[in-house]
Amino acid sequence: MREDLMDIICCPLDKHELDLEVIRRDDDEIMEGRLVCTECGEEYPVEDGIPNLLPPDMREESPA
Amino acid sequence: MTDLAERRDLEQVYQPAEDSRLLADTAAERVREGELVLDVGTGSGYAASVTADAGVDVVGVDVNPLACREARANGVPVVQANLTDPFRDAVFDLVVFNPPYLPTPPEDERDDWMEYALSGGEDGRAVIEPFLDDVERVLAPGGRVLLLLSTLTGLEAVVEYAGEQGLVAEEVAAEKHPFERLVVLSIAPADVADEPA
Repeated sequence: MREDLMDIICCPLDKHELDLEVIRRDDDEIMEGRLVCTECGEEYPVEDGIPNLLPPDMREESPA
Repeated sequence: MTDLAERRDLEQVYQPAEDSRLLADTAAERVREGELVLDVGTGSGYAASVTADAGVDVVGVDVNPLACREARANGVPVVQANLTDPFRDAVFDLVVFNPPYLPTPPEDERDDWMEYALSGGEDGRAVIEPFLDDVERVLAPGGRVLLLLSTLTGLEAVVEYAGEQGLVAEEVAAEKHPFERLVVLSIAPADVADEPA
């Protein structure tokens, strides 16, 4: 994900801002990291350049 | 990745069809340069890329991780999430959505990603209604929605439901097919829809 995405995303649960913790950056993209809600503390992973902002109860659901 | 695995992934991501093209072309015609667009249920990222070619920034969102990977590979900035859930208030000038709209009896529901992409539940509106509940929140002032629907979904019921949420819907594009008519509705908050274009 590009860092400017931070301007438009928020916690899907309470709509508060997210903090970005970068684990691995590749050129201008964040490849691995964590998005943490500044209000409720819920953590959302960034994996392979894609932020996963599904609420925790939908995260494990994987029909494929 | 083996060819077989690649093939299996493709079968789990909705690939562009007539509905995708009608929505993408309508969106590309109606965006103004510099606008920020959200493509809900972006799938392969087809409509998002076509719209981006019109000179706007497009972000895609999809619940399906395989779709997210494919959209990203097609150059679309993508977020894995449910509908408009993870987006801030008042950020998008246009939201486009080609939703799962086929009415599907519960006994025919399969548990895979393609089903997510196609099935709109028993009345075809199981995903469209929650979308309409939240979409106004993410619209910037003057923002609007382009929603693709089939006559199989019950257009009037959707227009009526939108009305209950304070939204005004009008048909802006349509295409006839053997068993259905595909329609693009332009939807805006009542105060925006009333303004002269």
